[in-house]
Amino acid sequence: MHAVDGLSLSVGRKEVVGIVGESGSGKSVSMYSMLGLLREANVSVTGSVKFEGRELLGLADREMRVLRGRDIGMIFQDPMTALTPVYKVGWQIAEQIRAHQDVTKAQARQRAIELLGEVGIPEPHRRVDQFPHEFSGGMRQRVVIAMALSCNPKLLIADEPTTALDVTTQAQILELMGKLQDTYDSSIVLITHDMGVISEIADRVVVMYAGRPAEIGDRRAVIRTPQHPYTWGLLGAVPRVETKRSRLATIPGTPVSPLNVPTGCAFAPRCEHRFEKCDERPTLRGDGHLDACWLTIEQKVHLRAGAVETGGHA
Amino acid sequence: MGVFILRRFVSAILVMFSISILVFLIFFATPGVDPAARIAGRSATPQVVAQVKHEFGLDRPLPIRYGLMMDHLFIKQDLSSYVNVGYKVIPQIEAAAPVTLSLVLGAAVIWLIVGVAGGVIAAANRGKFIDPLIMFLGIAAISVPAYWLGQVVNLITQSKLHSSIFSWVPPSGYVALSSNPGEWALHLLFPWLTLAALYAGIYARVLRAELVNALNEDYVRTARAKGLSERRILLRHALRCSLISIVSLFGLDFGSLIGGAALLTEVVFGLPGVGQLTYTALQNLDLPVIMGTVMYGAFFVVLANAVVDVAYGFLDPRVRLA
Amino acid sequence: MSDEVLLRATNVVKEFSLRSPGLRQRATMRAVADVSFEVRRGETFGIVGESGCGKSTLARCLVQLMTPTSGSVTFNDVELTTLSRRKLRPYRRQMQLVFQDPYASLNPRRRVGDIVAEPMRVNKTGSESEIRARVLELFELVGLDTASIQRYPHEFSGGQRQRIGIARSLSLNPSLVVADEPVSALDVSVQAQVLNLMADLQERLGLTYLFIAHDLGVVRHVSDRVAVMYLGEIVELANADDLYAAPFHPYTEALLSVAPELDDGTQAPRERIVISGDVPAPFNRPSGCTFRTRCPFATDHCAQVAPPLVELTPGRFVACHYPRNRSTTSI
Repeated sequence: MHAVDGLSLSVGRKEVVGIVGESGSGKSVSMYSMLGLLREANVSVTGSVKFEGRELLGLADREMRVLRGRDIGMIFQDPMTALTPVYKVGWQIAEQIRAHQDVTKAQARQRAIELLGEVGIPEPHRRVDQFPHEFSGGMRQRVVIAMALSCNPKLLIADEPTTALDVTTQAQILELMGKLQDTYDSSIVLITHDMGVISEIADRVVVMYAGRPAEIGDRRAVIRTPQHPYTWGLLGAVPRVETKRSRLATIPGTPVSPLNVPTGCAFAPRCEHRFEKCDERPTLRGDGHLDACWLTIEQKVHLRAGAVETGGHA
Repeated sequence: MGVFILRRFVSAILVMFSISILVFLIFFATPGVDPAARIAGRSATPQVVAQVKHEFGLDRPLPIRYGLMMDHLFIKQDLSSYVNVGYKVIPQIEAAAPVTLSLVLGAAVIWLIVGVAGGVIAAANRGKFIDPLIMFLGIAAISVPAYWLGQVVNLITQSKLHSSIFSWVPPSGYVALSSNPGEWALHLLFPWLTLAALYAGIYARVLRAELVNALNEDYVRTARAKGLSERRILLRHALRCSLISIVSLFGLDFGSLIGGAALLTEVVFGLPGVGQLTYTALQNLDLPVIMGTVMYGAFFVVLANAVVDVAYGFLDPRVRLA
Repeated sequence: MSDEVLLRATNVVKEFSLRSPGLRQRATMRAVADVSFEVRRGETFGIVGESGCGKSTLARCLVQLMTPTSGSVTFNDVELTTLSRRKLRPYRRQMQLVFQDPYASLNPRRRVGDIVAEPMRVNKTGSESEIRARVLELFELVGLDTASIQRYPHEFSGGQRQRIGIARSLSLNPSLVVADEPVSALDVSVQAQVLNLMADLQERLGLTYLFIAHDLGVVRHVSDRVAVMYLGEIVELANADDLYAAPFHPYTEALLSVAPELDDGTQAPRERIVISGDVPAPFNRPSGCTFRTRCPFATDHCAQVAPPLVELTPGRFVACHYPRNRSTTSI
């Protein structure tokens, strides 16, 4: 089974890249596999992953470990389960600092208190000695962020960092991530299913379908002039706060299982614009704004205009 | 934390009080049964029955009977057997308890070390040859009954190979720790191993399952993302969280073993412990002794559970609030 | 939509008594605090709020899965809270629930045809052959393959399972469907399918929906009128278009300003109002206005006097001393 297939992606310094897709699209797996977080014996990753010019695939576990947590920080979806329940949050942050830096326990703890303050946790001196269950969901996510930032990482990978949170908390966390990116000069890879979140924070967007990139481009380009029919469907399916439409655009069928991806274009079975050429697997094409679809630019402009006019293609 | 411990022990005392009432009611207030005749034994004379009636206040109201009973059990400690006339129950239990305690404590140390080490090694080597090997040894240890294993051990160490490699093994029996610590350990070595085998097998298997679950938890993924070593993740994060279920298992096992469940091992190795005492009393229908051992067993089960709950509080901060 | 009131809640309160961590005595948690509103026949009434705001508890009180601590719930002008279990039955059939989690709300060991047929069998609505025919009809209605009635829930995707849940809720021809976060567990493209289906069914069957969700876009999309809940209270209630265009309550305003939106060049630029802090614990409610601890416009007055839910302009209710987006700053 190919959970991820043929993903090429580069993240520039201080850039925010959003990876968007539905469940099973391989957006998390791709990041985890690059970082060696998938431990199962039957996982194999081929290709090349370079971080600051250094090849990561095939790197020994102990060298990879040095990068993880120090140069590459991670934030996960569910803050309720992301922290070890039996240790104080300050201890958990200090543990990471001491794993990478030669500092005393007291120094690490002091740094943990500073970090908790920086991510907006009130009374960090007191909170540092509390256990995860004594924090609310939003506050726990702040703790996870503080931990990810503890060694000033150059790259931050955030996997659905706000999905489990309420709207107002989500706003707080997104704002915090933006602010911290400025202070820490980190690049961010943001994995999410929410086009809205992507639109708020990403510089560049990768749309994934069935483990393959369907479309890659600047945020504005992808959201305003999407090229791939799957992106059209995704954008049309989001109910909007600003305007009300009578019907939502839908993509017929359900996301394809990575166990049986079609040989040609993975999206073809759900695509209403498919034609003979789609039996062949499309490659990413384009200049800056890439997409994997056999339709010509003229066809896309024409079809897209029609789709927007009728409010979708249900 | 102090309040938590205090509260836990107050509730343990209340539970023991309720158990004493329950035991009393079962023995003395079961409708349609004459407790005097039962206590006096199978072939008692009417005089003995009358004496029992008087001694236990069986002609008086229930609360007074309960008071008298507790007086005999705990204050005067002169509850005596009518089957083996003259045998006082409490001194018997007091003599048997150190034997059982020695047996179970030693075995517990062995099975905790072996079980936890086995579970951790198996979990750390998932998918390799050593993991199924440990799990197989575990299931083998669980499947072998203690009395059979004990007999085999006895057969080998006491007769078959006693003249060669096992010549140092002393005959069955018990030597008090206070009289000769070396002999104490030597006499108990094979009983310890026999009793520990079953529990080491169970604990290794349970711990491995818990660890494998824990290693799939989100917090382990976080720990990996932090750049910690696999060893540290396994021992400091996964094991620490998995120990919680091992501790609760241990509390139950330890309490019931001290309370008399080590009976088979005691009988096989000729150790005069509480299990054997209960066993003999049951054979003779010696009611006062049965009652005494039941109270004693309940006491240890409740105590062990209280200790486990306190240990829980140390292991899992979420419990302290509840 | 008519003006006929189908369901009316008046001063509904639901309290739970609980031992909370760190508190010596038992605390009373007000999950729903004095909520009044009405749902009109044929409309979709949306309730939106963040987790813990009491929206699900309110739904359960309305359909009498829970008895409110006080207050009244009428359905077709019949008071429900005082009815005996037996007398409640015919009204229960009129009000059906659709749940959030299509994985947990279907019994995994039963065939989906039986799951859909169960309410009819329990209520003995007809002969076995009539029920079977009705199951097929329902499967067609919600867009499921009628050949699949013999299959088990795990053989279906999340969206299909939610269709099964909807088919089950429609089996007794209810007039009111209470949908509690019906699409929040689904992928975006599947969510759109289910929302469209619900709209179609409403049109065809003349259903009334009480639609509960945390997603502002979803609620906006489906609702005719919307109530915003915060800490067990309705803080604003209005026609959906009005409420989303110019919210009166600072909480609504903040919620809308931070809802992630697609920057596709169609919308006006907006100012983000990120409110700080967390929702207070429901057993430790602030005095006066419950939102004042996070409200950027709160004054001493807000701490002392709880603002009542008043009709500020026709059809628009708000519980705030200093409503926003109005020329007047105070009432």
